Amino acid sequence: MSNLATKFSALLCALACAAGAHAGEVKHDLYLSVLMSGGGQVMGGRPPAKSGIYRSTDRATAEHIGFGHIRIFNVAPDPASPAGIYIAALDGVIHSPDRGATWRILTGWNMTEVKGLALDPNAPDHIYAGLPDGIGVSRDRGKTWARMNAGIRRSFTQTITVDRTQAGRVLAGTEQGIYLTEDGARTWRLVLPTTEVAYDVRQSPHDPKIFFAVTATSGALWSADAGRTWQTVAGIPKDRTLHNGVFDPRDAKRLALCGWEAGVQVSEDGGRTWTDRTAGLPSRKIWSIAADPDFPGRLYASPYQSAVYVSDDFGRAWKPAYFEKATVFNFSFVPRP
Amino acid sequence: MKLRRPFLILLASLLAAAFGRAQPSHAGPMPDPAPIADASLRRAAYLARVEEALVWRAGLAKPDNPATLGLAEIAAKLSLRQDAAACSARLIELMKAPTGDMFWMFPVTIISHLGRDQLTQEAKQAIRAAWRNYMPLRGDTENHWAMYYTSLYLMAQLWPGEGGDRWFNGKSSQENFNEARDYLVHWMEITTTIGQGEYDCTHYIGEYAIPMLMLASWSADPAMRMRGHMMLDYVMADFAVDSLDGIYIGAHARTDDRTVLEKWNALSSFFGWLMLGNTVPQAAYGGWGVYFTAAARNYELPEVIYRIGTDRAGTYTHTERKRTRHRWRYSDERNPPVYKTSYVTADYAVGSDQGGQLQPIQQHSWDVTWSVPDPRGVHNTLFANQPYWSARDLMMYFTEKPDSMPGDVTFQGKPTYISEEKLLGGSPYEQIFQQDDAVVSLTDVPAGVTFQQVNGFFSKDLALIEEDASGWIFAQGGRAYIAYRPLAPYEWRPLEVGGKRLRSPHGKNGTIMQVAAAREFKSWDDFKAAIRALPLTIRLEPTPSVTFTTLRGKTLVCTFGTLPSVNGRTVDRAAWKLFAGPYLNAEVGSGMLTMTHGRLERVLDFNTLTITDRVK
Repeated sequence: MSNLATKFSALLCALACAAGAHAGEVKHDLYLSVLMSGGGQVMGGRPPAKSGIYRSTDRATAEHIGFGHIRIFNVAPDPASPAGIYIAALDGVIHSPDRGATWRILTGWNMTEVKGLALDPNAPDHIYAGLPDGIGVSRDRGKTWARMNAGIRRSFTQTITVDRTQAGRVLAGTEQGIYLTEDGARTWRLVLPTTEVAYDVRQSPHDPKIFFAVTATSGALWSADAGRTWQTVAGIPKDRTLHNGVFDPRDAKRLALCGWEAGVQVSEDGGRTWTDRTAGLPSRKIWSIAADPDFPGRLYASPYQSAVYVSDDFGRAWKPAYFEKATVFNFSFVPRP
Repeated sequence: MKLRRPFLILLASLLAAAFGRAQPSHAGPMPDPAPIADASLRRAAYLARVEEALVWRAGLAKPDNPATLGLAEIAAKLSLRQDAAACSARLIELMKAPTGDMFWMFPVTIISHLGRDQLTQEAKQAIRAAWRNYMPLRGDTENHWAMYYTSLYLMAQLWPGEGGDRWFNGKSSQENFNEARDYLVHWMEITTTIGQGEYDCTHYIGEYAIPMLMLASWSADPAMRMRGHMMLDYVMADFAVDSLDGIYIGAHARTDDRTVLEKWNALSSFFGWLMLGNTVPQAAYGGWGVYFTAAARNYELPEVIYRIGTDRAGTYTHTERKRTRHRWRYSDERNPPVYKTSYVTADYAVGSDQGGQLQPIQQHSWDVTWSVPDPRGVHNTLFANQPYWSARDLMMYFTEKPDSMPGDVTFQGKPTYISEEKLLGGSPYEQIFQQDDAVVSLTDVPAGVTFQQVNGFFSKDLALIEEDASGWIFAQGGRAYIAYRPLAPYEWRPLEVGGKRLRSPHGKNGTIMQVAAAREFKSWDDFKAAIRALPLTIRLEPTPSVTFTTLRGKTLVCTFGTLPSVNGRTVDRAAWKLFAGPYLNAEVGSGMLTMTHGRLERVLDFNTLTITDRVK
């Protein structure tokens, strides 16, 4: 399909980029999965602005790629092809072999509203998709799919994380907690029960045994044994829906999380203490957050239906960066081809 | 007498000219509701209505203003075989910037099929290019998917043998065709075995009827063509049996803030007008109506359905089993059953579901609808609801994150969702039982839940409202006498749309409604006396409970959280059939529907794809 690019100027990010001489080589493109048309947008309605995927190669501007769907939730790199990307979307798992020039929906009618998506770096043909009714698995790069959620009672699955150290070892954030498989989704076991959905599970880029999760009503959780056991992170309230919890790829001691009315919380001591760094953002309703792997100390935050904000000092000061009114479902960093 | 098509077009054109831009039937007098016995006259009347809608819509396009020639006008013109050159030229422009997802797909599919021998090659190429370059969203509801996959099926059929590089989704014609076929067959199977999820919708009936007509009209595969035809029969029978004077009555999976009060003002009434001929159509023929009429000559409503909708021998009770929308979270059951009851007389209809949160939004659980001479602008209904909203219950049915959605949906065409005043929507804390024309609704709202109250709707069009010292409120709507008993103290609030709202601010609460025909009583006072004399015991603590003997002499015992009983026998709806009553019957899991009216019988068998008509 044609590639209709819409460019949005950054307001101050360009200055920040220019000042970021300490950044070194930029190795990733930033992909933003965006709802541009506000909470009132209905499916089938005429959107006032183009939603979908925006890509920033220079961190100063973001161009629209692909199609304008209002529900594209995540972008994942294709481990088998430097130019390939996969996306998790309302319409299924979708693949582009050429950075968004052409697309193919890989899943059929029986897999919809894909929220979580991960590919196994140790088995690049294996794709895991978190579905509202289970987990879809493909072992042939999306040609065929099977639903594999044996052992998961309530199978609403929001997030999928593949352990990069072991093929077939996957954690799934579901309605009732975090499940672990060590046999490529043939069997799952509950490793962390929660009362509501686990919305994000991340593996530390610094220590593969460490996992960090955030949930709807169980706060933030930490695992130091590769997801087998979990402890509650002190200092994080449980009365707010937490959407994202992220590691700073550039600093092992830095983490950040966000959520609805939870603002942005950061830790600079490996999660022991947390500081509220919401000041400077237009609201405490933060849909998503990300730490840039190429720019030390850079955080992105997406306040609900607002500009995307950027901070170059890990949340001490924020500046608007992209869009005027958007909700970013996820920020993704994809290695450059 | 058989009217020829050119004459019908001429007649419709003259009517349109006479009324200017006004829609002849919408603005005209109410039709004679008497059934037309002669099949050829009935067909001619149907075709005249089809032509009327098409001519009106086509007439909205002005030659000197291309912007007035949209997809609906093009569909109407092509159906009338008019102005193909102008339609082609305009399509080339319209295909440059598609928008609307599945609501774009089905009009373009209709146009493509109507225009196979009318559109220019350039126009066809423009459509073809749009289906490569524009990726419509599949959507997240049953009606979205009916439109999406029906369109994809027919367009893959229209352009066979093409590779994935020619399609918006990267799949080949064959892959798209197979996927669409598989979904459509799946949807038909679950609908005809465990019931429709978006059941009995006052608007969305169109989003099922139109795709089924498209399949019935243009599927090259005779099996799918037959499926489309049978499903259209199925949808229309489901509507006809729950209609009063062409108006959808009773409980709905989805309706809207306007239609829940002005029952006629819905796309479903367009089908009442078109198929049954016993009401008038909405403004603009309901919007989507034109797309149905564009292919409507390919369908003939079976006489048995026509008679079910227009020619009732007397009062009847009809029950149905449907299913909820998909429950993604907070439920071990994907599609729990919905149980519906309708009691239909010539003067009024009472309908209900079992209560509970059966749909995330726009659910309507029970009411009485009374017959009126002309329904336009009339709020011919009375009901109550427990106003409830919750992010958690939205999350049960939607896959979104929780916190923003309750506010968001108020900007998505559901403006009252979080309002205390709302009259639309279900509640997990309401339990309903209907026996004949009596309804007992009990509410037990836990402390801490928003809106500890019941809202009752009292229409501006009630002829009488009297608050009685007995605790009953007596009302008259049309030829129906209504007795309404709030179970807890209440106050009145005015409504902007007219009428008033009974606000009963108590969580342990409920409503009893008993309806009867005025002709059953010598006088209004006799009715009131009869109601006052009915044995009634009300208990609200610790759990709301009612023992009530109805006007029909049946003793109902209803206690929140337990199964109701009638004359001492527990009513377990789990054993209900998919359809049961004098007109429609189907067993759960059967894939069959038997329609009966007098000596007429039609059996739809989706297992063998056969329609069997019989005269008993």
